[in-house]
Amino acid sequence: MEGITGTSRVLPGAAIFFGIVLLAGPASAAEKQVSINDCTFAVNPDGYLSRESRGRQDLFDRVRAFAKSGPRVLAASTVPADQIPRRNFVDDEIFGRLAALGIPSAPLASDAEFLRRVTLDLTGRLPTPDQIRAFLADTSPDKRDRAIERLLDSPEFVDRWTLWLGDLLQNNAQASNFSRQINGRNAFHAWIRSSVAQDKSFRDIAYEAVSWRGNNYDNATGAVNWAVGARTPMGPIQDTYDAMLARTATAFLGLGHYDCLLCHDGRGHLEQVSLWGARATRAEAWRMAAFFSRMRLNNRRTDQNDFYYRSVDVTDAATGSYALNTDYGNRPARRPIGTLTSITPEYRLNRATPSDGNWRASFVDNLIQDPMFARNLVNRIWKQMFNYGLAEPVDALDPARLEPSSPPEEPWTFQTAHPALLDRLAAEFRSLDFHLRPFLRLLVQSSAYQLSARYDGEWKLDYVPLFARRYPRRLEGEEIHDAIAQATGIPGRYRVQGWTDLVLWALQLPEPVEPRSNRAVANFMNAFFRGNRDTQQRSQSGSILQQLNLMNDNFVLSRLRVSASPTLRAAAQLPTNGAVLDELFLLFLGRFPSENERAAGLAHLDKAATPEQRRAAIEDLAWVCINKTEFLFSY
Amino acid sequence: MKDRFGFDWGPIPGTNFWSRPQIGRRVFFRHLAAAVGGYFLLPHRPMETVAQAAVTPIAKAANCIFILMAGGPSHVDTFDLKEGSWTPPEFNPTSYGDLRFPQGLMPSLAEHLNSIAFVRSVRAWAAVHGLAQTWVQIGRNPTSALGKIAPHIGSVVSLELGPKSEKQILPAFVSLNTGGGVGAGYLPPEHSPFFVTPSGTGLGNTTHRPEGRDDPDRFNLRYQLLLQMDSEWRAGPDLGPGPAESIVFNERARTLMYNPAVEGVFTFGPEERARYGNSAFGNACITARNLLRADLGTRFIQITVGGWDNHSGIYTGALNAANENSLARQFDKALGALIADLKADGSFDRTLIVAMGEFGRTVGPVNAQSGRDHFLQQAVLMAGAGIRGGRAIGSTDAEGRATAEPGWARQRDIRPEDIEATIYSALGIDWTTVRHDDPLGRGFEYVPFSDRDLYGPVHELWS
Repeated sequence: MEGITGTSRVLPGAAIFFGIVLLAGPASAAEKQVSINDCTFAVNPDGYLSRESRGRQDLFDRVRAFAKSGPRVLAASTVPADQIPRRNFVDDEIFGRLAALGIPSAPLASDAEFLRRVTLDLTGRLPTPDQIRAFLADTSPDKRDRAIERLLDSPEFVDRWTLWLGDLLQNNAQASNFSRQINGRNAFHAWIRSSVAQDKSFRDIAYEAVSWRGNNYDNATGAVNWAVGARTPMGPIQDTYDAMLARTATAFLGLGHYDCLLCHDGRGHLEQVSLWGARATRAEAWRMAAFFSRMRLNNRRTDQNDFYYRSVDVTDAATGSYALNTDYGNRPARRPIGTLTSITPEYRLNRATPSDGNWRASFVDNLIQDPMFARNLVNRIWKQMFNYGLAEPVDALDPARLEPSSPPEEPWTFQTAHPALLDRLAAEFRSLDFHLRPFLRLLVQSSAYQLSARYDGEWKLDYVPLFARRYPRRLEGEEIHDAIAQATGIPGRYRVQGWTDLVLWALQLPEPVEPRSNRAVANFMNAFFRGNRDTQQRSQSGSILQQLNLMNDNFVLSRLRVSASPTLRAAAQLPTNGAVLDELFLLFLGRFPSENERAAGLAHLDKAATPEQRRAAIEDLAWVCINKTEFLFSY
Repeated sequence: MKDRFGFDWGPIPGTNFWSRPQIGRRVFFRHLAAAVGGYFLLPHRPMETVAQAAVTPIAKAANCIFILMAGGPSHVDTFDLKEGSWTPPEFNPTSYGDLRFPQGLMPSLAEHLNSIAFVRSVRAWAAVHGLAQTWVQIGRNPTSALGKIAPHIGSVVSLELGPKSEKQILPAFVSLNTGGGVGAGYLPPEHSPFFVTPSGTGLGNTTHRPEGRDDPDRFNLRYQLLLQMDSEWRAGPDLGPGPAESIVFNERARTLMYNPAVEGVFTFGPEERARYGNSAFGNACITARNLLRADLGTRFIQITVGGWDNHSGIYTGALNAANENSLARQFDKALGALIADLKADGSFDRTLIVAMGEFGRTVGPVNAQSGRDHFLQQAVLMAGAGIRGGRAIGSTDAEGRATAEPGWARQRDIRPEDIEATIYSALGIDWTTVRHDDPLGRGFEYVPFSDRDLYGPVHELWS
């Protein structure tokens, strides 16, 4: 192998891969160590480096150094941005900007990369070997668009985006402030799922969540669980109005700073953060929260077993307003402003007041007209697909720095590198009447979405918000579960309280702390930071525990047995080792092996002398696939 | 990917990966060296001004063991004993100097009372389990502006006192029997709690059991094959911080596997287990002791022990002094053994022990179900780190309903935020620190409202 020098006592018949010595047969008793460069490693009688040697950091460093010279999996080298084909206005904006700045773009992703990425991003699942083979064999120019249509119409799409919307609407059974209980969570989940399945407009989603009345255990009015989630104990009722505004403004407008403004004016607090927020006042926030000041949450006993009266009726009183009379609870005292002792609703933009007695519905009328409504939603969807928002952070947008026609005054800058694109996308989403699927189609059809993750030129941090390449997205805990379950052909079987059918796929679970009925599997997934839709946000961070789980957890290892896995069993029956290796790579990694991977994989398979050894070799290779860096990512 | 300051942003985890002012250990030390050296070159030494303005932490502790008694233990039956017709005779209330203590319920702790201080003027903000449990772990209101991004106290400790050498391979913050919950908030993921439920049979998933039995040879073979077949990704194209970080974590995970030092921490036998009471809490206490003994980098250990939510049958269940397997007796036996072992190791004086629930329980006679319900007043056990024991800080009225004498400089109830400040101070951390790397850009105070000096440490524990 090129790059290894100074090998002194490598045994005859040894194969060397990136600093690891593999021997074709057992080493003789005389040969107990090898040297690579000037580093000596002990060799076990079975021909492999000893455990102590393998743990050595210098060996790892050498492995890395040697492999630098190796071949590459991903096709690459950057290209001038104006040579990327432009599919729609997204590309005009992205590549127009890159070309104007003279920044090269990553090339388009290969077909296999694209299919794996778009299948994971739209459905949370891996493509199957049959789908990959058919897609690679297809020579028609519109094959990527047809794959997109198939995925948008798939049942798995509903699973994946139900999880996304469940995260946005923070559906859980237990939260630190108030618990919906399992019944409430299930009713909310049913409503979220049906909203995604029927591609309900976000206009209607907002109306139903924010303004519906009814009982939160009732599937017909599951949307009221959004209001139930705002209930704030240990404080006056105004704390609940405030929480309802803060949560609604964050989820539907991206204006998380209302949480600050409901305690104090922006002045003296938000100057470094938000141009809009720095000028906004607590009184303005109160006027917004006042839209919820007739909302009432009353506990009710729905059946004999509901000892603690835990279900909640969400209703509206005929009268009432936001009183300025508190001196305890979760927010600073609310005291009269001059002679004003109570606040009536007024919307932030147009100072609109309620059109009729239904204050919450009036709020939504204004909400969906608010430019931030569409901007926030397209920004959040963009972030899910591109792994970075056009404007960040997505829950603390600054309306004063997003209007393309009026740049913010010095020293402020736009909150996004692409104000015009964000605005255009928002207009497009509005003209699509806020439907998710057609909007996603627009995004994934663009060349901007289809760029390679690899960037061979010099990469600068400034390029990040310009989207000159794909940013790999670490799979979520549920996706990792389902990828392993699907590739091995062994789905889960989980009981969820209140549901009759067993759950096979983690993406169908109603909230990230499930399955409560199988702590081992829940813990396996929790290591990937699923969050709790309350105090802990879902996160893409890595950890030691994740790696230990992937290498050793029973959830993984119990599925990597030819005797248990139908897909591995089928692979084992393929006639040639080359076909076996191809099948494993397609199952787990969505692509064919590279030259180097093929050589190493075949060397391992070819060593197997008996059917039993061959089965073991196949299991080893499946384990390697799951632990390869790329497995964890939609890249 | 180095920026103009020479910071390598490549390995930095998290979503806003280019905007985090987070630096690696190596870069940190390089800058530290430059700063220390440069300091003496400056005509006016700026640090002196800073030092005058800053507070002075107690800095007696190198480690902290934080025991969360989830559910809310009855303060008037344990750390703030109030005797009445309800008190079972087996409690055997005994006077130790000025302290009254239920010797029969907690005989082991009774032996260590001269090194334990009870803080009795503590009052929770909320009597809701989830909210208040989160509150004591993050030291602030979970529904406040920073509640959603706030790190666990242990994550801040990890950030401040993280690994100092290559030998420190275990995370600085280990959380035992907690399972999940509050994490590192917005801080980088290496400060997340490392959740372990120890059973004495080694650290989970650090051995490889493809066929149900340990098979290190199979693992070694597989790992070698992995290094070969993944080399193009591990050394190849830069795919951004996510994959790069994942490779580093994979290698760190590998160092924890088949590692005798790590195995030693998480492995213990039946004798030891019995001495600590054969309970999950006992196993966690043994592990905590081993973690401190091994000195593999762990500085903050949380142990969660639930079951204190005793709305009914409190004296026949959790607080049954006659049953040595009751929760309180198990708690006592394990914590007593832990204190004894830390004293024998010589690490007791360098380790702050805090045991507390999220709130207390109703006082006076028990309720109709012979239990006690949620109540704001509570009491906290503190020991080690040079705390002067054998006494109480603050006192409550005759029933234990409210603070009678605060017993500390601020002359008010002690709040979770004050306990948080006490922990930071004991560990030598400036509790008034404000970080400016939070995603809201608002500024993150270690202890909330430190700019207004609203909360502060209970330094009376050391006086």
